[in-house]
Amino acid sequence: MKIKLDAKWLIFGVLLLLFCSPGRLLFAQQVRVITTTPELADITKQIGKELVNVESLTKGVEFMHAVPVKPSFVPKLNRADILVAMGLDLEISWLPSLLEVANNSKILPGQRGNIDCSVGINVLEVSRTVDRSEGDVHPKGNPHYNLDPLSGKIIALNIADGLVRNYPQHKTVFEKNLSAYLAELDKAIARWQAMAAPLKGVKIVTYHVEWSYFANRFGLQQVGMIEFKPGIEPTPNHLVSLAQKMQQEKTQLIIYGAQSDRFPRQLASQTGAAVVRLQSIAGGSPETDTYIKFIDYNLRSLLAAVKKG
Amino acid sequence: MNLMRRGIFFYAICCAWLLSVPQVSYGQMSEMESLKALVRDIGERLQGALKRIEELEKEKAASAGKIEQLEQDKVASGSRLGQVEKSVRAVQSAPMALNPAIGMVIDATAEHRAKTGGNFNFRTAELGIAASIDPFARAYAFIGAKKDEVELEEATIVTTALPWNLTARAGRLFADFGRLPKYHADSLPFVNFPLSLERIAGGESKSDGVELSYLFPTPFFLRGTVGGYNKIGEENERLDDTKSRAWSRFTYLSRLHSYFDISDDHSIEMGTSMAYTPSIRIPEDPHGGSRTLTGVDLTYRYQPLGSTFHQGLTIGGELFGNSERVGRASGFRRTFAPGGYAYAEAKLSREWAAGFLFDHAPSLSSPGKKTIGYSPFLTWNLSEFNRLRFQYSFLDDKVKEQKTEQGHQFFLQWTTFLGSHAHGFRVR
Repeated sequence: MKIKLDAKWLIFGVLLLLFCSPGRLLFAQQVRVITTTPELADITKQIGKELVNVESLTKGVEFMHAVPVKPSFVPKLNRADILVAMGLDLEISWLPSLLEVANNSKILPGQRGNIDCSVGINVLEVSRTVDRSEGDVHPKGNPHYNLDPLSGKIIALNIADGLVRNYPQHKTVFEKNLSAYLAELDKAIARWQAMAAPLKGVKIVTYHVEWSYFANRFGLQQVGMIEFKPGIEPTPNHLVSLAQKMQQEKTQLIIYGAQSDRFPRQLASQTGAAVVRLQSIAGGSPETDTYIKFIDYNLRSLLAAVKKG
Repeated sequence: MNLMRRGIFFYAICCAWLLSVPQVSYGQMSEMESLKALVRDIGERLQGALKRIEELEKEKAASAGKIEQLEQDKVASGSRLGQVEKSVRAVQSAPMALNPAIGMVIDATAEHRAKTGGNFNFRTAELGIAASIDPFARAYAFIGAKKDEVELEEATIVTTALPWNLTARAGRLFADFGRLPKYHADSLPFVNFPLSLERIAGGESKSDGVELSYLFPTPFFLRGTVGGYNKIGEENERLDDTKSRAWSRFTYLSRLHSYFDISDDHSIEMGTSMAYTPSIRIPEDPHGGSRTLTGVDLTYRYQPLGSTFHQGLTIGGELFGNSERVGRASGFRRTFAPGGYAYAEAKLSREWAAGFLFDHAPSLSSPGKKTIGYSPFLTWNLSEFNRLRFQYSFLDDKVKEQKTEQGHQFFLQWTTFLGSHAHGFRVR
């Protein structure tokens, strides 16, 4: 029996193959990296450059404790070579459920393909007693360390370590890119420290315990928190006592992020403090699409609020 | 350094002044020339000194940067040492660390039904445990203690490292049929399971069996499941699963489940399920007969990414169909009974949500007779782990099988979660 090779069928076959495995063919040389936040994606891109194809699961506008568990994340996690996460249980409410069905054992916690960026962070607010009477506490400590730019350097080191661990053949490139990024970050840190001089001693109230690392770095003083306890909305009594405390302490700013502005506005009208909305993760707007621009944006917003206030 | 610079500058000015004052006679011109040369020389030396001072200042700044870097490195090293210490402590307390995650749900209601009166209904205290078994599997179990019985709801082994995007589950599990049948009662968006789900699908899809899921390599989420079980459904009495029997007296399931993001904030989730039993037990009918249970589920969600804690809308529903032989006065006949429910729930704030449930539940033996239910409900989430819910239901009942399924009903439900609580991906 003779088999005739029709050119049309041959082209169809090739196209079908291309359609069925576009990722494998087009990005065969690139490492597929999924990150949980946009700043991790940015830093991974800076270190991996053209060797990596990076995508963040969150967009940057979410409150990290309330990210919807979207099944559309599952195929992305399924195909990932590397997963980069903030760790310290920041993603506890959504990531484990997705990993449960993603059928990708190499990116599970503890595996080679899972990069935990919190390794080496000087963790703040580690509770001595982990009990839900203290609210929705994180047993491993405050996970919002990305807001301290010096932590950005540790994040970069961890990502570079993880990439080298998985792809030692590209070690030289990763390390060269890391050095360049750290130098860029160092310059920015020096600039931020000079810029932040007027923030020293400024008294603030925050909605959630997100801003401790940021406040520590730039010398802001935290007077209180709008939430009654972490993750618990304020009670009327709590708001009354907080307003009194703010007046006594002459609090200048109320900082909130991806939360409702109802309570910040209410407190502002009672105390005269200025309200400022900042971003607790990068990527929420074009002005914050890189880690450096994100810290810059938050600092400038705060300075503008202080100047105005 | 500044003081030194000022000193040199002052000295140079003094020298220049002293040397340039016109106190000399014309006869001393040559001496003056040499003095001018001296001044020029001092000026050049001064420029050199200032340049050196600048260089030293730059070096000082660079050293300060290095010192700061070293300090940061020191902090990082200290922190890394702290991590090592923590790891050592974790190893020391390994027997405790290797315990599974444990949690408990307490769910109770105060109820009033027009036909039967009031009741404090302790619905369940459900103990949940979960842990990895080894690098290849994990397991979880839920044990529910109710008013007068303790029941193993689930005890399931799940593979974690099968190739080709496959996952196998076995043991006592909630079969992958529909959407809400896989929920535990404490995780429902309203107080009770819809009557349509209870009558047609038999309530929770509790089963003893094995199932295999496949995640399709598509850019969107698409998952298929096949399974074989003793029977599906908590209330299902059609099969006797206490003894060995022919393989035709088991239930076989297939399901396809998909999800699409319409935009960042809007999504659609859909699924279709079929459970087929080749031969069911029918009292007084030696022929038995097959049973086919079908289901279609559709859920729309509006979850604005920037305010998921405060805003949102879910509109969901399921249609069920049951086809089986049922006994009547005229003999046994194959009957198809369709039914279903639909609900909408709006998140009003971080704490409050309100919704409405519509339920259409036919009688399986006489599908023409049905119970229609209308249930508005209001939920108050005191925190993520503590919830109060009020629900009013009106059931227009033409089936008249049970008094509890008729008329006006009021429920106040209190549900709390202790410790680790996660039903995982299925309950989203």
